[in-house]
This record gives sequence, structure tokens and C-alpha cells, in this order.
Amino acid sequence: MNLPLGLDPDELAVCVSCGLCLPHCPTYRVSLDERYSPRGRINLMRAVEEGTLTMDQEWFDSLDTCIQCLGCETACPSGVKYGSLISGTKTAMAQQRTPGHKLRAGLWVLKHPRLLVWGSRAMAVVQRLGLLSRNSSLWPKKIPLRRPKSTATATGEVVLFTGCVMDTWMPEVHRAAEKVLQASGTAVMLSGTATGCCGALHEHAGLTDQAQQRAQRVMDSLPGEHPILVDAAGCGAALKNYGHLLGTEQAQEFAERVFDVQEWLAKHPERLAKIPLKETQRPPVIVQDPCHLRHAQQCHEAVRVVLAPVAELVELDDEGLCCGAGGSFSLVHPELAQGVRERKMEAIARAGNHEVVSANPGCALHLGAAGAKVRHPLELLAEAIVDPQEPGT
Amino acid sequence: MPDQLLAELREALGPKSVSFGGAAQLLYSRDSSVFPGGQPGPVCFPETTEQVVACVQAAVNHNRSFVPRGAGTGLAGGAIPCDDPVMIVTTRMNKILEVDKQKQFAWVEPGVINLDLSRYLLGTGLHFAPDPSSQQSCTIGGNVANNSGGPHCLAYGVTSAHILAVEVVLPDASVAVFGDPEGPAGGYDLRGAFVGGEGTLGVATRVAVRLTPDPPAVRTMLLDYQDVGTAADTVSAIIGAGIVPAAIEMMDQKVIEVVEKFIKVGYPQDAAAVLIVEVDGLIDGVEHEVERITEIALACGTRTVRVAADEEERARIWKGRKNAFGAIAQVKPGYYLHDTVIPRTKLTEVINKVYETAERYDLLVMNVFHAGDGNLHPLLIFDPQEEGIMDRVLAAGEEIVQTSLDAGGVLSGEHGIGLEKRRFMDRLFSENDLDAQAKLRHTFDPDERANPHKVLPGGSSCAEINHMDKPPEGTWV
Ligand SMILES: Cc1cc2nc3c(=O)[nH]c(=O)nc-3n(C[C@H](O)[C@H](O)[C@H](O)COP(=O)(O)OP(=O)(O)OC[C@H]3O[C@@H](n4cnc5c(N)ncnc54)[C@H](O)[C@@H]3O)c2cc1C
Ligand code: SF4
Ligand code: SF4
Repeated sequence: MNLPLGLDPDELAVCVSCGLCLPHCPTYRVSLDERYSPRGRINLMRAVEEGTLTMDQEWFDSLDTCIQCLGCETACPSGVKYGSLISGTKTAMAQQRTPGHKLRAGLWVLKHPRLLVWGSRAMAVVQRLGLLSRNSSLWPKKIPLRRPKSTATATGEVVLFTGCVMDTWMPEVHRAAEKVLQASGTAVMLSGTATGCCGALHEHAGLTDQAQQRAQRVMDSLPGEHPILVDAAGCGAALKNYGHLLGTEQAQEFAERVFDVQEWLAKHPERLAKIPLKETQRPPVIVQDPCHLRHAQQCHEAVRVVLAPVAELVELDDEGLCCGAGGSFSLVHPELAQGVRERKMEAIARAGNHEVVSANPGCALHLGAAGAKVRHPLELLAEAIVDPQEPGT
Repeated sequence: MPDQLLAELREALGPKSVSFGGAAQLLYSRDSSVFPGGQPGPVCFPETTEQVVACVQAAVNHNRSFVPRGAGTGLAGGAIPCDDPVMIVTTRMNKILEVDKQKQFAWVEPGVINLDLSRYLLGTGLHFAPDPSSQQSCTIGGNVANNSGGPHCLAYGVTSAHILAVEVVLPDASVAVFGDPEGPAGGYDLRGAFVGGEGTLGVATRVAVRLTPDPPAVRTMLLDYQDVGTAADTVSAIIGAGIVPAAIEMMDQKVIEVVEKFIKVGYPQDAAAVLIVEVDGLIDGVEHEVERITEIALACGTRTVRVAADEEERARIWKGRKNAFGAIAQVKPGYYLHDTVIPRTKLTEVINKVYETAERYDLLVMNVFHAGDGNLHPLLIFDPQEEGIMDRVLAAGEEIVQTSLDAGGVLSGEHGIGLEKRRFMDRLFSENDLDAQAKLRHTFDPDERANPHKVLPGGSSCAEINHMDKPPEGTWV
């Protein structure tokens, strides 16, 4: 029998409706309504599969508002695989109706790197003319006109995955990653334009075919056995999920050689120890765990390992609750996204309003637009490296 | 006139605070209990006492019943709607209104999450003592209504001991305050009557909770056993020696196994049972109690005694315990849970009978419970898809309840009666007892408007809900 959402009934049955996930769901925290909770969403999936509900407007609204942050999956003691349930559901949803024109246009551009570069330059000019906001969750306060030069080499021990938007909008993070890795004695090469976008946003939107095509292209462009290091938690989570997305042995093997940069460094303490650091301590920084690092990749502790020698680290007290950036969520549901972000900003204030580090550009942009000063952990680390031209620090 | 009722509610609360549609109806038809859903009317999210009054008034005007609901983590079906009631969901009434550190109480709204209150109080040296395992999700209003317990209620008492006053919207839409945070005011203790009322006496809209000073020192011990009986004997021996630990919790082998899969606590995997014993108080006293408990435990045949080295280890031990119920679904998707309390001296005897009953019905049973106060939580684990399974589960459940009552126990330690245990009420109470309870209820609520068909036995249009021959998938059955 073909079920409307095509979900695995055994996976659905694992949820016992205990409600222990409720407070770990950002959209429930803001709405305080079961319809925007993991337990609610799972029950709504069930109802459609059982034929007791149809996929009406209210139903779509509940599922559309899921940020796919996976906070619920981490919290669930029963082991509900929420990520798998929601991605199946999103695929079925995308087949039922076409995504909004804004989202579609955005996703199309991501697949065309050249267009992205030229479009970005145009945006950079428009922004400097004061015609484009400096406080958007979607683009940086200052879109770069030109990319700083990479120091990566044509061959290397590891590949740094450069992705799509980030390479154009926040190239300084990639440069920081290169600098850190090279200082650890690791030769780096870049993934390059042939690799392009990881397909994460396509997958989130339920456009599974397109996500699979992206994944295949990324894999084909990066043969060999080199570890693939990623400095954006969202892309990292997507690459690590290729095995599940494509279900092939090749994809599984590929996924196994993907690491977050911080994760990889923490796994190689001998290299980490080689990085020559300045003696001076910088002011404290607040560590913000991107959901894609904490809940999806579960390697958020690595950020602390890597940064500990550089600064005093301050923790947030919200148990890794999502900031609301969540891929295209802030684009599609600005009101809920803002409520979620307000909670994060309050947590940042409680932690002392220091500078924030976040290993995901989406979170950095989203929180930055609300006035937080956010940087990538690798930027901080790169800054702390002893400059070879500046002896005796 | 459902349209008029809806219009009236939307007028009073604003359109965004009243839902009426397929998804909302479905999701507010159930709680965490065994029962398939009932049928809710409009689902309301009031934010003030006035708005709750408006909800109750609308119910009165249209001759509807109403059901208060917190986070819906209840295990006895207390928040399940019967007869299209107006659902009064308190989750958006979540402000902590006032904390009086000197007099050690706080006024809070009913939708405040139990753990959020504790977090808020961090650093004040005070805390709210009742700590149900669901504390990360459940609301203070739900705790009050169910008179909930938790591991630390062994030494500190259940919710009722920590509620100083409640503001209540009564079933006729009037507002009254029972009790006084500054001390008993004389007259009848209506606060006491309201706590544990399971929403059948009105809606709590503000609660004055007692705040307990944080103990200066805490030690958490993990004791492990090669058989459950020895663990139970140890519990009796500790308390028999005049020591009242802050908490004594027991988990049997199956529970240990599933919990360890969710969070690596380091519980010994080959143990038949573990006890978590926590002592608190002044530092010297605590060290002395740890020594004495260790002596007693070893004399009883405890295999090893481990004392948590730091706060992190302590937190992990408790996190494992508090997620135990949920983690059990890893084994089989359905479970049916009882909540009886038995005299501590009968612990070994009753536990053994529970295992025996389960075996006779060819069911898997897991035990995780508040051993210190004899509050059992035997969980029968099964796959609801299995043919004829429900008959066996229900029969075994009934036998377990009877075993507990025969041992001099009571029906519910902390989860409430709700829909679930109404049918057992006449086994515990005489006709006169029940009659007196019914009179109290009718004094508050002559029309049976507030959460009808709960707690007291009797005919019910929710009968079909109470009938569990075919549970929906993924219930806690
Ligand atoms: C995993 C798990 C572990 C649990 N562990 C424990 C435990 O250790 N100890 C324990 O005692 N319980 C436990 N429970 C049961 C449950 O969490 C408690 O009974 C809790 O107090 C219910 O709170 P709630 O906000 O979810 O209430 P709900 O389930 O929403 O409602 C419960 C009852 O309270 C009434 N009610 C709710 N709010 C109000 C109000 N403002 N005014 C009047 N009536 C109201 C409802 O009508 C209903 O009858 C557990 C449940 C789960 C799922
Ligand atoms: S997803 Fe997990 S935590 Fe949430 S209600 Fe279901 S079983 Fe409980
Ligand atoms: S993925 Fe995040 S937003 Fe979606 S239900 Fe889970 S916790 Fe909520």
C-alpha cells in the first residue's frame, strides 16, 4: 500500500507521545502550541498516513514551520529518528505543491556559481549605494566586492569544501580555515567551482531529486581519499548525510571522509598542538552551537577544544536551542524565526553579551542582523596565530 | 451554537488565541497517557486570568464543559476532552510573577514549566522541590492538579506540601484565592482540597509555591545488585536505620540497559538492579550519612557502592533516571504503566509478584520507581500490533493493581486518577468515602462542567475512550 507520505511505519511508531521533546523545540518554545511541536508534527504525519487528516492548509503550516534543527532528536529518549521522518515528509510536501517563487529563485541561483559571483558583486554595489539593507538574515552587512586571495595549493592532504554562497559572501572564513590548517602543518587544496553547492537547502525544501543531483556532482568532483573538511556546519551536515540521501556505497564512503574543520583538528591533537599561538589572551567569547553541528553532526565539543587555548569560553544556558536561522526558514517564516531569535538574543544577554562564535554562516548572519557580533571560531583562531613576520610575540 | 461559542471566545481572546480545525482538534485530543483521543471543542490559549474567566463564562453561556490543560504530559488521561469541551490550555500563562526570597515563596502562572522555574531560581539559593521525571516539560498547574511527586519528594514531600496558595477560576466563572503564601489563614483548607483536584474543581490561574533552600551539600550514590530482592531489602534497611535520604530510586536490569543506550551514564550493565541514593544537608552530616549508608548497603549484600565524583557525574546519573520512561520505547513501541504505592516493608514481596504476573501473561515487565516511598511504576512492554495482546496487558495490569491493594497499598502515587484509574476507585474507597468526595466536587461544580468524567467512577460518554481494546500506534499503552 502506498502511504501519502511514504514514511516507515516502524519509525513513526517509535514516538510514544511523552512530550519530553517539547521544551527543546524552538517553535514550540515560541508558540506554546502543540501544532508547532515535534510531538504534534509526528502525530500530524501519522494522521495523514492513517487517513484521518488530509494535507490541508493548517497541516502544511505546522510542517512548514519545522526548522529541521533536530533539537527534538537529541532530546528524545525513545530514539525517534525525527530527521528522517521530516525529510520524508518534506519530499512528499514538495510533490504536493511547488515551493514559493522566492525560495525557488534562490535555490536556482545556488546551482549556478558564476551567476552567484556576478549577482553578489551587483548586490555589493547596490548595498554600498545604500539601496540594500545591512541588517538582513540572508546576506552579510557588507557583501564583499572582491574575494581575498586564497593561499591554498593545487594539491594537498585535505580538501577544504568551499560551497556556494559562503565562498562569495564570507570568503574570509575560508581564508581563516586555510591559515589555521596550514599552521597546523596541513597542506590544503580547495574544492573549487566544479564542486559547487552541497544541496542542503534543496534537501530541506523537500526537493530531493535536486539535492541528489547536487550530491552526485559534489562527489564526482572530489574523487580520491582525501579527507574533506567543511567550515560551515550546514554544509558539513549535508555532506555527511549523502550516504542516507543517495543510499549508495559510494555515497556512504564519501560521507565517511567528511569532517567539520574543528572536528578534524580536535581528532588530530598533534596537529592542533603545532599551531603557534600568541601569548595574549583575548576577551571572553560566547560559544553558540549551530544545530547542524550540535544536533546533526554532534561534534560541537570540538569548537571548545580548538578555541580553549585562545579565549575564555562562555556557555549559553539554553541547551543548544536553535537560533531560528535554519536554512531558508527565516526567509519563509520571518515572524516565528524572529521569536526564536529573540530567545537566543536573550540567552546571549544573560551570558554577558560578549562576542559570539558560531561555526555556521547562516546562524552568524541571522544573529548578526539582530545586532550580535558573531564570528567564526576559525577566524578567532587564525587571528591568534603568531605572525611569522612579527617575531617575538 | 458552536459558531457563536467560537465567536465569543475569539472576541475575548483574539483570533490567534483560539484554534478550531483538524490539526488542533487532533493534537489536543490526547495527552501522554494510554488513551486514544477524545473530542475537544475550541482550543483556547488564554494569557491572563480575565481571559480564563472569559473561556469559562463562554462555556457556561453555551452549556459546554471545559478542560484545563498544561503540557499534556499526564499519564492518566486527565487532560483528555470528553463531550467537546472548551480546552483551556495554560501554556502561554508562563510568567514568574514574583519571587520573595525572604519569605521563600514565589507567585507563578500555571503554565510555567517546572524546570524553567528551577533554572530561573538558580543562584538565589532556593528551589521548587517537586521534581517529576517529566519536569523539563510539565507545568506547575499540572503538578498542582495531579499533586505530582518526584524522586526528591521522599524527603521533601509531594507537590501539596509546596503549594501555599492558588488563585482559581471556579466552574461558574468566579475567581477565588485559596490559601495565603504568608501562612495558614484559618478556615477550611480549600487550597488542600484543590491540589490534586485534576482540573475538576476549576482552573488554577496563579500559584504561590513554597521555595526550599538549596542544601549546602549533596552526595549521589549508585549502588548495584545481583538480584532485585537485595536491592529492596537495602531500601528498607536504610530507612529502618532512621536515615531519610533525599531520594532513593530503583531501576531493574532491562531499564538500565535501555537508559545506557540513550545516555552513557556508566550504570553497570550486568547488574540485576541499581539504586540511586541521594543525601543532602550540611557537609559533615552528608559525609557521615554516605558512610553509614555504605556500611548498611554492604551488609545487605550490595555489590558495589559508587559516589558521584562531581556535579557532572551526578547530573548524568539523574538524567538517565529521568529519561527512563521515554527510553523504554526502544524495546517495544507500547507500554502500560501503573503507579501504585505499597508499604515499603512489602517491597520485595510485591516486586516478585509483579515479575511473576508478567511471566504468567507472557509479557515483558520493566521496573523503575521511587523505591524510598514504595511508589511502584511497573511497565508492561508490548507491541500493540500483536493479536490479542491488549487483553493480556489489561488483565496483567489489573492483577498488579490488585496485588498492590492487597498488600495495603493505594492506587496512585503521583500520576492521578484521571480517566484511567476511575474503574479501580471502588476497590480502594467505601461507598461513603466516594460519596463524600462526590459532594465536595458538586459543591464546587454542581453542573459537572469542569473536566467531566474524571477521577470519580460513574457512567461516562467517554466510555469508548476508556475501552482500550485497540490502542493507536505509539501510545504509552
Ligand atoms: C516521561 C514522563 C515522566 C513522568 N514522571 C512523573 C513523575 O516522576 N512524577 C509524577 O508525579 N508524574 C510524572 N509524570 C506525569 C505528569 O508529567 C505529571 O502528572 C504532570 O504534573 C502533568 O503536568 P502537565 O502540565 O503535563 O499537565 P496535563 O497533562 O496537561 O494535565 C494534567 C491534569 O491537570 C489538569 N490541569 C492542568 N493544568 C491545570 C490548571 N492550571 N488548573 C487546573 N487543572 C489543571 C488537567 O485537567 C489534567 O487533569 C510523568 C509523565 C511523563 C510523560
Ligand atoms: S519524539 Fe520522542 S520525546 Fe518527543 S514525544 Fe515522541 S517519544 Fe517523546
Ligand atoms: S526539528 Fe527543530 S523545529 Fe522541527 S520539530 Fe524538531 S525541534 Fe522542533
